[in-house]
Amino acid sequence: MTDETIYRHMQDEGVSRRDFLKMCGLVVGAMGMTKMPPLDASGLPASLNKVDKSTLNHVAEAMETKPRIPVIWLEFQDCTGCSEALTRANAPTLSNLVLNTLTIEHHEALSAAAGFQVEEAKQQAMKKYAGQYVLVVEGSIPTGEFAAYCSVGGRSAEEILKEAAAGAAAVIAVGSCASYGGLPAADPNPTQAVGVMDLIKDKPVVNIPGCPAIPEATVGVITHFAIFGTLPELDELHRPKTFYGTTVHDRCLRRPFYEAGKFALSFDDEGAKQGWCLYKLGCKGPTTHNSCATIRWDSGLSFPIQSNHPCLGCSEPNFWDGGGFYQGQSTPLEKPTLGTVGAAGAAGLAIGAGMAAAAKAKKEK
Amino acid sequence: MDWNATLEFARGPFFNFALIFFIAGMLYRIANVVFLGWNKDFAKPRASKGNGVVKSYLRGGLILPFFPREKKAFVNNPITFLAGGLFHLSLFVIIFLGAAHMLAWKSLLGFGWWTLPLPIVDFMAAVGIISMVALIINRFNHPVLKRLSGPAEFVNWLLVFLPMLTGYMMTHHMFFEYKVLFSLHMLSIDVLLIWLPLSRISHFVFYFFSRTIHGVEWGKRGAMP
Amino acid sequence: MTDKTMDVFVKKTGGWAASQLEACTRCGLCAEACPYYLATGNPDYTPIWKVELLSRAYQQRFTLVGKVKTALGFNKPITDEEIKDWSMIDFNACSMCGKCAAVCPMGIEIPKLIGTVRAGVNAAGYAPEGLKSKAKAQDEFGSPNGDTVDAYKEWFASAKEKVGIDVPVDVKGAEILVVFTNLEISTKKSNLYDLAKILEAAGISWTTSLEARDAFNMGKIIGDGKLKKKLLMRIYNAAVELGVKKVLVTECGHGFVALRDDLPEVVGKALPFEVIHIAGLLPDLIAEGKIKVQAGKFANGKTYTFHDSCKIQRTGGYFEEPRDALKILVGESNLKDMASNREEGLCCGGGGGLRAIPEAKDNRMAAFKLKLHELEEVKADVVVSTCDNCQLQIKDGLNFYEVEDVEVKGLIEMVADALIV
Ligand code: SF4
Ligand code: SF4
Ligand code: SF4
Repeated sequence: MTDETIYRHMQDEGVSRRDFLKMCGLVVGAMGMTKMPPLDASGLPASLNKVDKSTLNHVAEAMETKPRIPVIWLEFQDCTGCSEALTRANAPTLSNLVLNTLTIEHHEALSAAAGFQVEEAKQQAMKKYAGQYVLVVEGSIPTGEFAAYCSVGGRSAEEILKEAAAGAAAVIAVGSCASYGGLPAADPNPTQAVGVMDLIKDKPVVNIPGCPAIPEATVGVITHFAIFGTLPELDELHRPKTFYGTTVHDRCLRRPFYEAGKFALSFDDEGAKQGWCLYKLGCKGPTTHNSCATIRWDSGLSFPIQSNHPCLGCSEPNFWDGGGFYQGQSTPLEKPTLGTVGAAGAAGLAIGAGMAAAAKAKKEK
Repeated sequence: MDWNATLEFARGPFFNFALIFFIAGMLYRIANVVFLGWNKDFAKPRASKGNGVVKSYLRGGLILPFFPREKKAFVNNPITFLAGGLFHLSLFVIIFLGAAHMLAWKSLLGFGWWTLPLPIVDFMAAVGIISMVALIINRFNHPVLKRLSGPAEFVNWLLVFLPMLTGYMMTHHMFFEYKVLFSLHMLSIDVLLIWLPLSRISHFVFYFFSRTIHGVEWGKRGAMP
Repeated sequence: MTDKTMDVFVKKTGGWAASQLEACTRCGLCAEACPYYLATGNPDYTPIWKVELLSRAYQQRFTLVGKVKTALGFNKPITDEEIKDWSMIDFNACSMCGKCAAVCPMGIEIPKLIGTVRAGVNAAGYAPEGLKSKAKAQDEFGSPNGDTVDAYKEWFASAKEKVGIDVPVDVKGAEILVVFTNLEISTKKSNLYDLAKILEAAGISWTTSLEARDAFNMGKIIGDGKLKKKLLMRIYNAAVELGVKKVLVTECGHGFVALRDDLPEVVGKALPFEVIHIAGLLPDLIAEGKIKVQAGKFANGKTYTFHDSCKIQRTGGYFEEPRDALKILVGESNLKDMASNREEGLCCGGGGGLRAIPEAKDNRMAAFKLKLHELEEVKADVVVSTCDNCQLQIKDGLNFYEVEDVEVKGLIEMVADALIV
């Protein structure tokens, strides 16, 4: 653990008290916090825990007293989209907070160093902060005979992940690939790719699915751990409830049109222009747990449905194989071909006719 | 329980299997009846058979629930008439005019049609569910229905009721997650599809046999004014 | 015994019966049509329950699901006891009135299926004794009451003395062959005289036949296919031999329907003659002006109502014709319809052979009570019917309930009375 607190570090960087508090406010918002975890869980002196404080004060205090936590960020079968999203996140100060303040000790894409140097640095960080660092994973991991399809420095992703996870305090899987396998795992899953939680069973794993993951959610979870030393409350798919507790449909701005049965039927019809519900154009909002409809993208500018495109359900497991993007959600994923229907129908007819004929023959006897 | 996998299974292979089973099963049922041999009718008609058939359907359709052909029968067992009629009406409205269901038809048939606003479909669903509850209570109480009902009748009821209930809960996000209810909805539909050809729910096909025969016979005798 | 029943069930189940059995949804509405259920509240009298044996046999022998159910023991083999039980409900509590078919939302022709169950029960020897003896008598003497050819000869001859008409017997080339019933010879001999007057007045060439003397068909009632065929063929052969254009049934409802609707199936071709009923003929003669009747002859302040017989009206289709004639005879305003009328008409309670089953008397009278209620509702003084069996049952019932101020009349006698020659 680094010796200085987060606040100290920021002061050194020239951040004023006023800016610091502003940042705390942002963090509170990003974490979507309404209730604070008990401070003693974060290893703070009990004296701090006595008075009832506002959430903001609480965060500020935690930041003032809490030592910085190092983050190691690994990438496997990914597109770096989640990292990209993070660097373009809403509040530059926020990503700054994560990328600089919280000490990203290792990030392959963002690192200035390259090659063996960077491997070296990672090994050192892992040794130095053993048992304390947060491991963030982006991308899925090929397994079995296909493990070699993603290798870094001659070692398979699986090996690297397991090694890094062993010393981690917590593992955060960012994006659908790291969470569930994502695109690389789409049918027929040529590399037998899996998500982190399928491999790491002995450490707490948080999933922040999405393609890409909403940066505010990523930041929110990392800061939560960095500040409180605990993970936010998770659901059965290991997703933080704050960001994945409701569906896109639950909070969708087009929901009134859904309720009223007003649907856009094509992308250029009157309904589309009027901003009607996109359900009939294949919207997966009703089954998609994510915060797109509330946090939105690009500093809260918009999100797909607002921009007249149905939700693809990108934060749900196997979304690639969950039916056509523009096919209604109520449609079957598999349906019999004319051939099977014909064959089965013919079989039914034949059995029926056969039984009837047999019965008839018996009757006439 | 992995509800994503369940949902995929219920919307995917299980649905596929159930649909194939349903089609094959219904064709078996029909063939088993059609090829059993029919006597030719040599009697000279006294009046028009066509007229009889048309009226048979008008009456068969209208008898339920609002224009009972036999007033006395209606008065004696209004629950079966009203609840039975409303239930069927709600079923048709939901299955054919609900947006989600129309999309399913569209993906199966290749063409779609106009749908009703959700509040109306939703209201009809509530009507259907309430009707079904009334019907099952009636089945437990009415002496005739007690006599006629075996275990199969209750299984029929349950397997029709479950999709209705889960569908309703799903649109209202009641108690469980949407995905869970969606999965249950699809599972119950798949099971229903398999059960259909094995049960008396297949009356939706034989209805056309019996009503046509009724129309022909009564029409031919001039007894269908 | 159960083998014989099963044989009948299997033989008689074709596509027609199968489609009907498959269509039932077990909604129980048919019960609300059945006079015997309504009168007694006994759920065993539910029309489709009367077919349960056949339905079970069908499943056991014809369907895959049924076979599985049978193998698993859900569908038990039919026992002798059950056949006896079903004899009690199919014979003693069903007049084959056909109203259930009108009420059933699926339009299932339940009575025809009940006919099959009756045949199965009869094959096992469990038909009611009363019917069995009548069937035997008709087989032997040609008439269920044992009236012989000589009795009919005598009756036909008596018309000369009564109304001065020579009743033509076995006249070849006549237009109409008139077939009476044993009920008329035993309880209403006047029908012959009245009808003779009418036909003579209309100038129709008609004949009776000693071979085809009774339209009654115990074979149809008891479900004995052979006997039914034999009795039908008597009339068919006589009609063909005499070369008539029409066969006129005077009253008997089921006999009329058997001739018109069942005979073509028995002979396997369309009939070379038309089968008609006086409920259609008499009104036609009046309407066409072939006979003249005194309009308002019976308009004497009494209220008349017309009883829709199950076989002649609901099955035969003669709803409006007799009413049209009655309107002329009694005056339009004096004719009132009962609450259940035309195809919804309520059975008198005595059809389907019930009057020949002493043990069924309770059911018969209970069912009549419903009819009586409807009669009282319209405050009828006279109830008119075109079926002699109904008339007898209504008279029985009125006696039983000690109702004295309601009169029962046949259409033939009324037309004859009002005839202007
Ligand atoms: S656009 Fe999608 S998420 Fe929005 S209301 Fe319609 S179905 Fe729901
Ligand atoms: S035919 Fe008439 S008497 Fe027989 S079961 Fe049907 S309604 Fe009842
Ligand atoms: S009314 Fe028809 S469908 Fe209903 S139980 Fe009776 S026969 Fe079956």
